[in-house]
Amino acid sequence: MTRRVAVTGIGVVAPGGIGTKAFWSLLSSGRTATGPITLFDPTGFRSRVAAQCDFNAQAEGLTPTEVRRLDRHIQFALVAAREALRDADLDLSTVSDRAGVTMGTAVGSTIRLEQEYVIASDSGRHWLADPHHALPFLDQSLVPSTLAAEVACAAGIGGPAMTVSTGCTSGLDSIGYAYQLIEDGVADVMIAGASDAPISPISVACFDAIRATTARNDDPAHASRPFDAGRDGFVIAEGGAVLILEELDTARARGARIYCEIGGFATRGNAYHMTGLTREGLEMSAAIDDALRQARLNPEDVGYVNAHGSGTKQNDRHETAAVKRSLGAHAYRTPMSSIKSMVGHSLGAIGAIELVACVLAMQHALLPPTANYETPDPDCDLDYIPNVARQRQADAVLSVGSGFGGFQSAVVLDRLGRRP
Amino acid sequence: MTSVITGIGMLAATGIGTEALWEAVREGRPGIKQISRFDATGYGGGLGGEITEFDAATWVESRVLVQTDLWTHLALAATKMALDDARLDPAATDDPYAVGVTTSASSGGNIFGQREIHSLWSQGPRHVGPYQSIAWFYAACTGQMSIAHGAKGPCGVIATEAAGGLDALAHSRRVIRRGTPAMITGGTEAPLGPYALVCQLAGGLLSRTAQLADAYAPFTTRACGYVPGEGGAVLVLEDSQAARQRDATAIAEISGWGAAFAGRVPAGAHDHAGWAKTTPALARAIRAALADARIDATDISMVFADGVGIPHADAAEAAALHAALGAHAASVPVALPKAGFGRLHAGSATIDTALAALALRDGVVPPAPGINDPDPALGLRLVTGEARTVQGRHALVVSRGTGGFASALVLSRTT
Amino acid sequence: MSDTTLDLTYLASVVTRCAGVPTSASALADDPDFNDLGVDSLGLLGIVTELENQLQVTLPEGAEKAERPSQLIDFVINRSVRRS
Repeated sequence: MTRRVAVTGIGVVAPGGIGTKAFWSLLSSGRTATGPITLFDPTGFRSRVAAQCDFNAQAEGLTPTEVRRLDRHIQFALVAAREALRDADLDLSTVSDRAGVTMGTAVGSTIRLEQEYVIASDSGRHWLADPHHALPFLDQSLVPSTLAAEVACAAGIGGPAMTVSTGCTSGLDSIGYAYQLIEDGVADVMIAGASDAPISPISVACFDAIRATTARNDDPAHASRPFDAGRDGFVIAEGGAVLILEELDTARARGARIYCEIGGFATRGNAYHMTGLTREGLEMSAAIDDALRQARLNPEDVGYVNAHGSGTKQNDRHETAAVKRSLGAHAYRTPMSSIKSMVGHSLGAIGAIELVACVLAMQHALLPPTANYETPDPDCDLDYIPNVARQRQADAVLSVGSGFGGFQSAVVLDRLGRRP
Repeated sequence: MTSVITGIGMLAATGIGTEALWEAVREGRPGIKQISRFDATGYGGGLGGEITEFDAATWVESRVLVQTDLWTHLALAATKMALDDARLDPAATDDPYAVGVTTSASSGGNIFGQREIHSLWSQGPRHVGPYQSIAWFYAACTGQMSIAHGAKGPCGVIATEAAGGLDALAHSRRVIRRGTPAMITGGTEAPLGPYALVCQLAGGLLSRTAQLADAYAPFTTRACGYVPGEGGAVLVLEDSQAARQRDATAIAEISGWGAAFAGRVPAGAHDHAGWAKTTPALARAIRAALADARIDATDISMVFADGVGIPHADAAEAAALHAALGAHAASVPVALPKAGFGRLHAGSATIDTALAALALRDGVVPPAPGINDPDPALGLRLVTGEARTVQGRHALVVSRGTGGFASALVLSRTT
Repeated sequence: MSDTTLDLTYLASVVTRCAGVPTSASALADDPDFNDLGVDSLGLLGIVTELENQLQVTLPEGAEKAERPSQLIDFVINRSVRRS
């Protein structure tokens, strides 16, 4: 008997909206949260646009010790996890050893590592960095596993905890791994999410070096333009999101409010290039097909596609081809949008943030738009829900992701009751 | 649907390649020494498990060499060894998605990343090159391994510090159960760079002595920390039926796994309460692994231990073994091969698993290098001096990742 | 316009070092397609970054899409801007 997995709680820290209410307000309005980089002085960098979180740690209930000890991405995660657990109205003390954590991150404690390197190396003067000035817990910033550990500690869980770090598909994959752990009976409850805070000189510089990010510095509010003919790269962003997943019968038994089910999860590698994408998108299509098969969905059953839609020339073309391959003629009838147009691309976090957006879209029967869509691109000719949110009840939602290293992932969310 | 190991590739300070390293491990050869690649005297004891003879150019083509860290060079070398051992070519399978990749990751591309951050801050943002975006991040090895061998199946990366090697194997087993015939699974680490050492030293667990004999002596009263090492292992894990169909040799089966969270982050060497909390978590993980394998504690014929080398941590591990294995813990042979080449973080548990598979195959448990005085208070039967002949069907591998992770894996002979 | 020069021996060393593709001045003198040489998009970006930093110039957008050495050299000699 296959165990089924329900989503019973959501929490988010996003640019333009901390908390699901503010986040949904942004998405449903089509406003963008992209602006000039202010977290550091971006003079001399090629791309000077970002989607930053208006985050006051103290106001969010974090103590000075926590702020000192924890990199920004972990701070986001704790706040998002707290909101998700409250939303799920779940008392973890009753399930502690049967509850686990999966948290995704692409670049972990980059901000903290870079800041401390400036000190230890005296701004790059000494290759033999000095250990004497290091913060006493800097070892925890060296490894991405700390994210999962801190969330697990704060939640008091005793089951398996792990960080998933598959680059830009970390967010989707984290939820996918959690789904598999519940399916297999390893856990009954999973805190599953992702967080990244990459707006730091080294990250901005590394994307500058490969021209992956936008150079539209004079118009930051409109710089993230997925699928638009004038798109010129992604807008780097930060944020975090958490979903509470529970085994379906357990959730029902405790009278949990069930948002939806996880219908399927699949991932593939393109084994092609670390950053480049083919025109055909075969592997992304294979992941989509597998996820749809698990959910027992035909292409015409998909009510909405939440795209990776990073806004690079190659991604949006690649993804359009993949979705057409998987959905066939129905691709033209299935609305597909990229919320990166509004909240930017927060690397490993965005997949989880996008799944929260999907949950909200199903709940409100309103599909978020692709903002800044002005000029169609002949290579991208699907319905991208231009600029204005669309009223529509989507019973089954497909969320797609793609990332450096060739990762291609897909998650299906299913309205409870759609599948008998 | 069982998952079996059909290929092994591994490398560490005392040997490059499965045969060479297994021989060194059986002999109990020590390989920790003064770090030679740079002046490390300012970094604790300046010791490390360096693989001084490793020539990346013989394993990695030049185009990939420039865009990757040593961490990935080690992973690509071990992958090649493992696929050769398994006689499997992912690019030649009928189904392009028949082989996936999972790695366990920890500190990532340390030297590459430090070089780029150093250039940024000493010369400016334009001095960051195009490879930083793909060389340092934690998914780099999985990506490059997948590309190098045309492995388009499900690809993943798990980070639970030293426990990651076991968790990655369990993840691959879950993927295989869902229909992917084979998973290249492993972990490597290259933690011997200046900034990486600055970070590790801050955790308070690194040994600070330059005395080779005492630098990494887990399970003894001399224990004063651990020494980091570079290297790791890659295994080819396959669905047993698929393996049989292509006449592959099954070395051992991954028959059980368990993982638990200790609920408290051990904060340094003296955090007695923190380390003590790893006892119930590790015991839970071991019990879950035994139950998953459907065996009893007494069926375990050897244990490959975590061996952090901090007295509180070692005591907590011993207590977990006693709690989970009962009376059997006092008599089952315990192996600590990592005392000979250091803690490899993301690579540790994978290499332990590979060595456990070989130990089962050859019926021999290797001695802990440089340890002749295990602390009797721990009540464990550490194998020292010479390898011990042990006939048995099942091995237990345990590992704790700093941060509170505790995992256990059961390996079983297939014949 | 810039007075920067760029000889093939130097360019070959940059291609070898930064793209990881061992090559020589004589191989580049044939003006082969970078693809045929084995230099991919990332490799070209590595070459461009190195040229900019070593020669103290800024190359225009598009230099990283040069298809062959002659085009890249043209970017450097005729279309680069000295960095202050």
